[in-house]
Amino acid sequence: MSTEASAQTARPSFLSAILRNPLAGVFIALLAIFVISCLISPYFLTSYNMSVIARGLAFVGIMTIAQSALMILGELDLSLGTIGGLSGVISGMLMVQAGVDPWISIVLALVLGLLLGLLNGFLVTALGLHSLVLTIGMAGVYGGAILVLTKGVAITGIPASIHFLGRGDAFGVPVPFIVMVVVLLIALFLTLKTPMGRYMYAIGNNAAAARMLGIRVNRIRLMIFALAGMLSALAGVLMVARLGTAQPSIGQAWVLAPIAAAVIGGVATTGGVGSPLGGIFGAAIIAIIENIIVLFGVSPYWQGVVSGVIVVLAISFDALSRRYIRRDSH
Amino acid sequence: MKRLAMLLAGAALALPLAAGAQDAPGTAKKDSYRFLIVPKVVHPWFDKVNDGAQMAAVALEAQTGAKIEIVYSAPQTADVVQQVQIVESAISTRPDGIAIDLLDPEGNRASLEAAQSQDIPLVLFDSVPPEGMAIPFIGSDFCEQAKIASRRLVEVLGGEGEVAIMMGVPTAPNHSIRAECHREVFAEHPGIKVVAEGIDNDSIEIAQQQAAAIMQANPNLKGWVASDAAGPIGIGQAIIEAGKQDQVTLVGLDNLPEMLEMIRSGVADSSSASQPELQGYWSVMLLWQQATGAPVPQFLDTGNAFLTKENVGE
Repeated sequence: MSTEASAQTARPSFLSAILRNPLAGVFIALLAIFVISCLISPYFLTSYNMSVIARGLAFVGIMTIAQSALMILGELDLSLGTIGGLSGVISGMLMVQAGVDPWISIVLALVLGLLLGLLNGFLVTALGLHSLVLTIGMAGVYGGAILVLTKGVAITGIPASIHFLGRGDAFGVPVPFIVMVVVLLIALFLTLKTPMGRYMYAIGNNAAAARMLGIRVNRIRLMIFALAGMLSALAGVLMVARLGTAQPSIGQAWVLAPIAAAVIGGVATTGGVGSPLGGIFGAAIIAIIENIIVLFGVSPYWQGVVSGVIVVLAISFDALSRRYIRRDSH
Repeated sequence: MKRLAMLLAGAALALPLAAGAQDAPGTAKKDSYRFLIVPKVVHPWFDKVNDGAQMAAVALEAQTGAKIEIVYSAPQTADVVQQVQIVESAISTRPDGIAIDLLDPEGNRASLEAAQSQDIPLVLFDSVPPEGMAIPFIGSDFCEQAKIASRRLVEVLGGEGEVAIMMGVPTAPNHSIRAECHREVFAEHPGIKVVAEGIDNDSIEIAQQQAAAIMQANPNLKGWVASDAAGPIGIGQAIIEAGKQDQVTLVGLDNLPEMLEMIRSGVADSSSASQPELQGYWSVMLLWQQATGAPVPQFLDTGNAFLTKENVGE
């Protein structure tokens, strides 16, 4: 009898421990959207469709990890999409027009992304500019550079040897998705298990206080801007491999979606709060909504309304569950 | 007994005939069909394609008794990544056919191959297949459509003057073909000088901004041609804003309501129009024929119409 009683008391505390996790709300919202999608569409839970969603999620997911890291720091980079596009286009030009080995071209594109991110970080730290304002301008510069280089025309003839990076599967799992998971694991390790991660949250919460504690705020900012630039380039290169062409339009859809995904996933735009994993949950919610809208044959004129309503519902659900959890824990 | 023997003999003779009829091209039957239409972007021109597709569905339902469903799924922006995502998601629903207007043949290749590998009939409208892929396609002769417009502009200008070309979405094959054919016509006339080319990405707003800027930079500009349906509408608005209706000649493209209104009001001289309703109609017809196992033509020309104040109607 006493064992039973202790089990009964232990069970709610275990559940509330899980629910108290800040990611619980967004995860439950994701789970709910997944289950509802399974119920309303017979096509949703097929292996092909899962692979379609996973492949689509991978690119926005990588961008979301990059943007989440910056947002934890209290920064935003609106030029990440165009960094991805420009790096992708330049990798394509190197491979096709300059005859550079595809793998070397990819490495050079990643280095370019890193340097462009570093440049953004340098301008933010050295000039003391607000990252949001500065990167709106830089997005124009990088986006303009794409048009100057391509004249708006896609670069075709990307070597087939790298197509598997975007189109391929390993054990039925799309390669870009595997890349995203690896990036996520590294990002989680960096943010949760290293001093740098702690410094990022400290800077995001209060940069002045962090500086007084001896944290090299500008150095961390530069590093995160550079890494975010490199991740954007990675997404751009993977997209080039997926399409088999270097499209000038690559990255255009990666401006607001990663920020929305991060916010849905509980990453605060004010800094110091959230995790890249939450961002990925948010990105997964968006990816499923985009998929189910097509499966369900929603009129294109209603798609914006429908996806907007679902996102608002998901955020509301997250907020309500947090309130419930707080009340429960008191 | 004799009657039974005759019945059996008759049945034996009829069986191969029936089997033959079952196997004959175009004889496979279903009670319902679901066809997907995936345009380049949400756009009034594609609404006309959808109207044509719905018309074909009604006709097929009336003639065959089968239920025909048309699902219209358009990218919110003219972005090949978004279009690929829509086509791949659409494949998951195992439709009886997909009609697509490709934003970029190479960029769309993987999703088209995925559809073919799952035996889903395909039709391309207003665009051409990627190199080496055998997919039936429907449309007007894009080059001829453009040449009708540029020749008309040359004629109105008397073979002399500065002109500009609006290129639409440069990665879209039909737009780039039209732009190239405009250039070819102008190159044949030494008195015509192409002083500017704009990119509007199939957006009226961008076309207006581009046209306004180009006219500012080239005060002697005498004429415009476009390579997409949104382009001439934006150019026309820019001409009105600049008050240059009497100085700049616009020969438009396609037959959107705004384009027709500009011809009526004299802002545009004329328009060389493809016929989107016909493209939607025949897209569904060719998908249905493929679904029944019938052989279909590799290319179906829906023709162009030349619209002027005289024939555009009220």
